[in-house]
Amino acid sequence: MCDVGYWALDLCGGLEKLKTILRTLYVLLMGVAIVWSYTVPDAVGFQKPGMARIFLWHFPCPMLAVFLLMYGAWCAFRMFQSISLSPFQFKAETNYDAKVLWDLRSVAAMEIGYLFCLLTMATGILFSEVQWGAWWSWDPRQTSFLIVLLIYAAYFALRFAYSDGGKRAAFSGAYALATIVPSLFLVFVFPRLPYIKSLSLHPSDSIVGGLIKGQYGQCVCFILALVTVLTVYLFKMRVQVGLLEIGLEKRNGQLENLGNNPAPTGVVRPVYLPKSD
Amino acid sequence: MRSQSGLVTGVLFSVVTVYAISFATLSEKLHGTVVAGLLWVALLFSSSASLPRIFLAEEEQGTAELLRMVGRPHAVFWGKSLFNCLQSVVTGILLCVLYLGFTSKSVTVPWLLAVCLIAGCLSLAGAVTLCGAIASQASNRAVLSAAIAVPLLLPLVSLGVSGVRVALGDGAASEGNGAAIGLIGYACATLATGPWIFAAVWKS
Repeated sequence: MCDVGYWALDLCGGLEKLKTILRTLYVLLMGVAIVWSYTVPDAVGFQKPGMARIFLWHFPCPMLAVFLLMYGAWCAFRMFQSISLSPFQFKAETNYDAKVLWDLRSVAAMEIGYLFCLLTMATGILFSEVQWGAWWSWDPRQTSFLIVLLIYAAYFALRFAYSDGGKRAAFSGAYALATIVPSLFLVFVFPRLPYIKSLSLHPSDSIVGGLIKGQYGQCVCFILALVTVLTVYLFKMRVQVGLLEIGLEKRNGQLENLGNNPAPTGVVRPVYLPKSD
Repeated sequence: MRSQSGLVTGVLFSVVTVYAISFATLSEKLHGTVVAGLLWVALLFSSSASLPRIFLAEEEQGTAELLRMVGRPHAVFWGKSLFNCLQSVVTGILLCVLYLGFTSKSVTVPWLLAVCLIAGCLSLAGAVTLCGAIASQASNRAVLSAAIAVPLLLPLVSLGVSGVRVALGDGAASEGNGAAIGLIGYACATLATGPWIFAAVWKS
């Protein structure tokens, strides 16, 4: 079994080459997705069906933005668990490495989620102009997602306001947890309220109602899968970069203390000492 | 007594807002939805301006450290949020009475208005108290607390507007009932989770 494994690694020229092959394959698949999204038959029920193709790329963005917001909150919850500050679970020892790692995961999820939220707004605004004739139609879905964008922005405003790493992690984590209920309401409840639903132009219950089917549905699923893979890759990269930054900071601190060369002492001011007889 | 300024600010803000809206719409007959919207916007900004003071004052006066040493986080949060709940309900009732008086708008479903107002004010108080605590140690705490509170309160405002517009005779009764249930649920969720989140960051 081991021999087979070594043979496979030799065949690919090592793990690095395997990664390169996977990346190349991903780029090729993305190219296929772009071509497919142009050749797929027109969707029915839109004013300009040809221009409605942006839906294929718009669809994964809000799904991932909301998922990453929830995952960021979950990572913040795990961070509180790891530093024993949470009343949910007490531990005998404080695990600072775990705290740093969960905080990094939380901020990575939030950053990528913010990016997808911006993409949702951009593609949604374009769709609104093409199909409804105005860049901004005050559609309930557009409005609720704008508030989700504001929640993301508030999270980063809070994060930038604290310079101390520990406080930054704790307070922004607390805010991430506090956003769960309003975000779920905004995404899943608000657009479905009877009064609000009657005002909406946005297509709703497309998946549940079975409106996305055939080649259109297959193309949507394919693009969703590709964008999800990209998200996982970006997330892993962001966490690795964060860990490298922390490692560099630690190393710089160690270099300053090397060679028995302490930091200069403070200025000594002359003081008056009365003579003792 | 140190939070007296918060109460005075909130009430003064409400009176000035009601007067400003009534003055601006002097010759207009306002629709129920518009009245409900303006009422909730006034409540939102009144709360986000005055309620976070309860934690910010502790940090500014240097008493927060002492409170951290002697106080249990749940007790501190409940004490602060109960005061804010009371302040918010008083401000809300005053604002509503003044506003409806100035605009001469009749109330069709009084119980729905009362439920929406009280549940809404409790939710506002719970969420803003938590945001005040989260922003209390930042350098730009006064602006930041309002900035991070408003996105969390906008869903609440939408529910509040849906409920109050029905109470003012605009919309179906089922919609108003749904909004009232939503507001009660929001208040319960905010006040139930707030102490746990606060306890996690209190000693930071």
